Amino acid sequence: MRVLVIDPDPARAALVAEGLEGVDPLEVRQSAQFDAAEVASFAPDIIVVACDSADRDTLESLREAGETNPRPVVMFADRSEPGLAEQAIRAGVAAYIVDGLAPARVRPILEVAMTRFSLMQQLRGDLAKAKANLESRKVVDRAKGLLMKERGLDEDAAYKLLRKLAMDTGRPLGAVATDLLAFAGVLKGDAS
Amino acid sequence: MTSLTLGFIPLTDCAPLVVAEAKGFFAGEGLDVTLSREASWATIRDKVTVGALDAAHMLAPMALAATAGAGGPVTPMIAPLALAVNGAGVTLSNRLSQALPAGAETLQEIAAGLAAFIGQRRVGGEPPLTFAVVFPYSMHNYALRYWLAEAGVDLDRDVRLVVTPPPRMVEQLRTGQVDGVCVGAPWNAVATRGGLGRVVMRTSQFWPAGPDKVLGAGAAFAQDDRLSPLLRALVRAQAWCDRAENHEDLAVLLAQPEYVGAPPDAISAALGGELVFHRDGAGIPRLEHARWFLAQMRRWNQIGADVDAQALIASVYRPDLAMAALKATGLAPEVQPAPGPLFDGKTFAAG
Repeated sequence: MRVLVIDPDPARAALVAEGLEGVDPLEVRQSAQFDAAEVASFAPDIIVVACDSADRDTLESLREAGETNPRPVVMFADRSEPGLAEQAIRAGVAAYIVDGLAPARVRPILEVAMTRFSLMQQLRGDLAKAKANLESRKVVDRAKGLLMKERGLDEDAAYKLLRKLAMDTGRPLGAVATDLLAFAGVLKGDAS
Repeated sequence: MTSLTLGFIPLTDCAPLVVAEAKGFFAGEGLDVTLSREASWATIRDKVTVGALDAAHMLAPMALAATAGAGGPVTPMIAPLALAVNGAGVTLSNRLSQALPAGAETLQEIAAGLAAFIGQRRVGGEPPLTFAVVFPYSMHNYALRYWLAEAGVDLDRDVRLVVTPPPRMVEQLRTGQVDGVCVGAPWNAVATRGGLGRVVMRTSQFWPAGPDKVLGAGAAFAQDDRLSPLLRALVRAQAWCDRAENHEDLAVLLAQPEYVGAPPDAISAALGGELVFHRDGAGIPRLEHARWFLAQMRRWNQIGADVDAQALIASVYRPDLAMAALKATGLAPEVQPAPGPLFDGKTFAAG
């Protein structure tokens, strides 16, 4: 079975394609954009396409152009697999299959795609969080430096004071540090 | 606050949704709305179907096609509000527009010129011209087909019609992959400002105050408590969009990358006359429009003769819901002109 993965996000497409290697028998290709010549020559049995690809409308229209396209694709709308298409759309994945392909063969492919999409989202979320953490550590360090200078505290005492402020107000350390720096800026006249 | 998620496609006529959010009309109705920019009409339809979107900016024939099960499962939908009338147009590549006879100005003359050129190419054994539209179930597809067919072009034999995402149409006019496009604002303006072609037909000439986009939702949304406040907020936003003093503000707002992401001057081109959001009952989904769409779907074999057009239109097109919102906000039009004829003089009765 041949699977074409169309996804404007190349990293995610690679992740899906790699995941599909485990499902056999399979030949997997990935592409950032729909290419009529590629579809005609590769003749995929199933096209997995990201919902954020603008190519979906072109793929839909191929159903109406059966004469010019030897392998017309149809939307995956089989009712014998209830809930699958819904789940896939919510996960950001759509699929087009060649007429006649057994639904049972589609499920594992879509499941891999959905899993990989959510994995990618999680990885990106983790990365954003790590960046935010790093940023917050920098802010805390600056706030600590400010307290050491203005209050004559040592580093440990400055940190404890910040932590106490955070606990008393029930807010994250980074947020308290950001406020402290902003207030210090206002008092010094930065924001006037 | 009541939460809602609405989908839109980056086009100038998504304006009522963007304005209702940015200018506080949603908040004024107690609605907390998330606008979700989508990349394709297919995804808009699918997300509305599975409930990932509560309602969305839709091509006017989409709700009818989904309810009829054209090319997919039967998915009952409603169109309780028209978002705008007019706005689409046909841009020909420079190469093709130069092939038109000098002095061809009216839609009939231009179509006749195109038909003659297409005929010459066929006789000369040259490949058919390629035209791009945005979606099979769109005013763009039907207007282009109707216009060329009236001039004697055989749409199946003489030309190649493809579906292409609008931003890519502009690029393909440049590279010569397409000879003409039928697309909505702001893309005709983006193409002509880039020196890539000439606009030879506007849907406002093809069918003055003709249909283009609606608000579409699943049929169950007709009973949802959130529908009335949503429609009230949108009709207020539509009235705001029509006011000339707001057009500069509107163009700058829509130009932002999270909305349309095109230059403000290209967006301005369709404001102030071409696109109408509210005036003369532009927000009311017209049964005449739906009838015309059904006739086109039949003509181009998208639906079978067994589809009960009357029942389909009555279940999908809901002018009563738009009118209720217009009355509730004091924005109901004093006169509500009946839809006029197409460029060829034909009319479509509501009955």
